Amino acid sequence: MMKLTLLSVLGITALAACGGSIPPPNENLGSAEAAARSAKEVGADKDPQAALYLKMADDQISQAKDLMRNGDDAEAGRALYRARADAELSLQLAKEVTARKLADEASAKARAAKEVK
Amino acid sequence: MKTPTLFVLATLALSVGCATAIPPKELVVAREEYSAAARSPTASMKPAELLTAKQELDRAEALFVDEGDSKATRDVAYVAHRKTLLAESTARTAAATKQMDEAGVQFGSTQAQRLEDTTARLQTAQGTLKDTQGALVRSAADLDKEKVARVEAERKAALAMADLQRIAAVKKEDRGMVITLSGGVLFATDKHDVQSSAMPQLNQVGDALVKNSPDSTITVEGHTDSQGAASYNHDLSQQRADAVAAYLVSRGIARDRVTARGIGPDRPVANNGTVDGRAQNRRVEIIVTPKP
Repeated sequence: MMKLTLLSVLGITALAACGGSIPPPNENLGSAEAAARSAKEVGADKDPQAALYLKMADDQISQAKDLMRNGDDAEAGRALYRARADAELSLQLAKEVTARKLADEASAKARAAKEVK
Repeated sequence: MKTPTLFVLATLALSVGCATAIPPKELVVAREEYSAAARSPTASMKPAELLTAKQELDRAEALFVDEGDSKATRDVAYVAHRKTLLAESTARTAAATKQMDEAGVQFGSTQAQRLEDTTARLQTAQGTLKDTQGALVRSAADLDKEKVARVEAERKAALAMADLQRIAAVKKEDRGMVITLSGGVLFATDKHDVQSSAMPQLNQVGDALVKNSPDSTITVEGHTDSQGAASYNHDLSQQRADAVAAYLVSRGIARDRVTARGIGPDRPVANNGTVDGRAQNRRVEIIVTPKP
């Protein structure tokens, strides 16, 4: 009898382990929304790549909110976990676009200065 | 005993069933992206960010081993993929920033060089300006000297003219200042010795020339009227010119300044048909040409 109970407990624990790696939604909701806001502020919606990940973030945030309203925190947590990663990537891509633009402008200016007789 | 065994076997089967062999698409993509990033400049430029992505990928791999193609495996693989892309973007951004900084340094250097060159050119130009101004001042001084010398020369010429005009007929012509002395005053008829009565006049001419035109060239020309043979007249006029020239030299004019020429009847100044005209034609002209 003891052996059976122990194995069953182990089995249930194994099953439970299949879904316990994602943090709860509260932590990631704030972070995901903040990252998405920052991305928009630096013009992520103007660059195709950045805009793509921003949209994914926004859609998942929206989805998470619905899930939370329906009491499904586990699924909401997953959606926000992905949303945060997408928003942070979008923000970084937008920053890259700006850095690239500034670098190109500086190079052009240096070249032009050299060419002036 | 059968039911518990079955139950245990079922649990074991379920546990084993979590670790299926086929990885989810998210995990495959994450692995590929990480592999590429690890071989790219990202690895050296942004090792910390790449490590974060690796850690996430390792977590996804562990989940895959434990749970197989579960939601968690897919979610963590998804995030691992995004983190790899983020690391790569961060590396590219750092490269762009470095390029911008280098361009800025280059621009600064070019401008500094341009400033140096311009300053050097300005200094050279200022030097040239100073030299030019100096040269102008010297030229102005030279011009002044020249002017003074010219005024002095003109003054002397005017004095000479005035002196001579008191003694003889003086005219300014293209060939120089021409002093005309009457042949009848200087010489007796057919003679070529200067008469003593003419000497005071000639003395004054000589003195005036010595005093006022020390550097001029003097040409003495003898002229006759048209009466008599031309060859005779040429000879006579030459002799008379020589006589006057010799007299001037005796009064102090340098020998090498004086030339004597006999023109004969060739250049009359008046009508040889009248007594008066012939008298005018019988003359000696002293042409004073200033030193060039």
